[in-house]
Amino acid sequence: MSTKSRIVRTLAVLAGASMALTACGGGGGNDAGAKDGGTVTYWSMWKVGEAQQKVLASAIADFEKETGNKVDVQWQGRTNTKKIIPALNTNNVPDIIDGSNANLDIALGSTGQALPMTDAYNTEIDGKKLSELIPAKFAAVSNIKGKDGQPWMVPYSLTSDGIWFDAEKNPDLVTNPPASWDDFISLLDKEKAAGQTPIAADGDISGYSAYWFVSALVHSEGPGAFNKIVTDKTGAGWDSPAVLAAAKTVQQLVDGNYLIDGYNASKWPAQQQAWATGGADLLFNGSWIPTETGTYASPGFKYASFPYPAVAGQPSMARTDFTGFAIPKKAKNPAIAQELAAFLLTKKNQDAMGTVAKVLPVRADAAISPELAALKKNIDGAEEIYLGNDGVTAPGYLEKNFNPTDDQLFLGKIDAGEFVSKMKSETIAYWKAQG
Amino acid sequence: MSASTLKRTRRNPAPALKPGQGRGGSSIERQRRKLLVPFVGPAFLFYTVLFIVPTIAAVWISLNEWAGSGPMTFVGIKNYIKVFQDPLFLKSFGNTLLLLFVVGAAIFILAFAMTLVLRDMAAKKIARNVIFFPHLINALVFGILAGFIFNPGGMVNSLLKPLGVTEPPAWLAQDNIFPLIMATMVLTTTGYFTTIIMAGVDRIPPYFYEDCALAGATAFQRLRYVILPLTWDVFGTCAVLWTISSVKIFEIIWVFGGSSGAGLPPTQTWSVAVYTYVTAFSGMSTPAYGAATASAIISLALVTVLVVLLRRAMRRDAIEF
Repeated sequence: MSTKSRIVRTLAVLAGASMALTACGGGGGNDAGAKDGGTVTYWSMWKVGEAQQKVLASAIADFEKETGNKVDVQWQGRTNTKKIIPALNTNNVPDIIDGSNANLDIALGSTGQALPMTDAYNTEIDGKKLSELIPAKFAAVSNIKGKDGQPWMVPYSLTSDGIWFDAEKNPDLVTNPPASWDDFISLLDKEKAAGQTPIAADGDISGYSAYWFVSALVHSEGPGAFNKIVTDKTGAGWDSPAVLAAAKTVQQLVDGNYLIDGYNASKWPAQQQAWATGGADLLFNGSWIPTETGTYASPGFKYASFPYPAVAGQPSMARTDFTGFAIPKKAKNPAIAQELAAFLLTKKNQDAMGTVAKVLPVRADAAISPELAALKKNIDGAEEIYLGNDGVTAPGYLEKNFNPTDDQLFLGKIDAGEFVSKMKSETIAYWKAQG
Repeated sequence: MSASTLKRTRRNPAPALKPGQGRGGSSIERQRRKLLVPFVGPAFLFYTVLFIVPTIAAVWISLNEWAGSGPMTFVGIKNYIKVFQDPLFLKSFGNTLLLLFVVGAAIFILAFAMTLVLRDMAAKKIARNVIFFPHLINALVFGILAGFIFNPGGMVNSLLKPLGVTEPPAWLAQDNIFPLIMATMVLTTTGYFTTIIMAGVDRIPPYFYEDCALAGATAFQRLRYVILPLTWDVFGTCAVLWTISSVKIFEIIWVFGGSSGAGLPPTQTWSVAVYTYVTAFSGMSTPAYGAATASAIISLALVTVLVVLLRRAMRRDAIEF
């Protein structure tokens, strides 16, 4: 990490230097058309050996065989979306890059550096247009669209979240998950009364701790509710009783002593490890949990999950983040890159995503591993979807304002009322500083 | 002592230019001047391209609002005002100063204490290697080790349990991580500076110590009147090295909190370097390169000012022996 980050910093500085010297930023031609036998450079978010890497590598091999194009892959890992930012000021830009919608938005989308993926969406895959294969509600998410309304991302897999448990130990939860927050709390009480630890949480990962507040608010007020109070420069959004109520659900978890001992003073993955070995019953976490904890889970652990409890009167919803491709405007071979992006959506590749890489495929008709069945059912049935952190990307707001304050709430240092008033003043100060 | 005379001769290389010699100087001088460009040129060029130009570029970026690519908007010193008004930056700045002064003081007191002990110790070579060893270990190891040792089910609590401690402190609570980092820094860096100072101490001719022994000086007097004055330049260099490296402390904080690099460390532990990095590269929100470089420039200014002050404060006539 450290050497890499240093390299990234150096790169950024060098890129800045080259900009200052040659003033070559912005613009960039991309009119080199698609010719059969062309080469595209792909900066991958996966590293050699990861399950997704294997699926992508074999899909790329098929793509090369079928189209006669060549894909020059660099398996860079998750820093690829950081590396591309300084690279955009140079001529060393990949033709295609993948990442989560949040990371790609930061690197390309929000700065208008991503090419619209119109061609990819118009490509025929398995006899259907790609745009028809991707559920419409995904396309409705504004964060993957440019100012022109065209999507700049083609997702090939999804991530989501759920409250995980061992179906072997708690078979009732599979058939009868808590339907409301009150149901959920009575489930926790029942578990506590039975001498069990209800919830495990790695409190040192602010992003995980934030699930609780953001989910509570979004489920009670609808997708976009959190984003709205963040972008309200007057801070008045935080005064809403619904916000306080959402914060109170988090406080309830702390006050009720439902969380595993030491969740406030441990290093990830200590607590998810404890959960996977029977130290606690529930874990609110992402769709990656079965693969991430699989190596150390107790023998016979049967992964299952239920969605965050719904709120009556709100449409059914699911958190969905996308992992997929984007093409920088400066790409030299965008046409082949669009083809490649579309190619990952063939049934064969989507099935491999679901069963080999064991992630959530984008296509509703793709095969899936049994661990993720409940998550997929939730996404398929959701009328609306929302993004992680409700799609907030205001520079530094989450890292410097929201997460540290939310940590205090989740770690039991402040109560819901203090949290709300602190967030209000932080939000006002934040926007004042932004000018 | 003849030291001052020696020094004076070195600074003023008498005899001065003879009138007849002209501007060209001796032939050696001329040769030297001829070689100046081929020898210094490449290094100077690299230095300019790799350090000076990026620094100037960073100053320029810090005057703009910029997401790292795309359009840049000139905003003047707004980023600096923004950074200085950010309580989190001030907190990070305070942490950097804590590392610099508190950890620095601890390191040098310990290093001198160890120097005194180690000089007279049997097997001092082995001891020296042992105390140097932590410095060789990657910070990542300490980050992961901290989990092993201090997690709720970790080594310390397991050892405390048989002793009847059922409610051990929350070692890795957000507020405790920074003191842990400071302690780790002392542990890893003391050996390094002890080694350098020891090398300086080893240079001191033994007859000074014999003198001390004859005069009945205590260990402290020996430090005060012999070791410190004779290693002052070594100590000065060490102080500068520590100032520069402490302002850049990053990895250890990054891996200690926030799950060894998987997430962000808690803000209570941030240093200016971490603040800078998060502002530009957190990966969680649109990068603010302007504010990040402003914060980097501020730490550069801090280092510069401190090093200049330190050099002035430490300036003594070097004693030659």
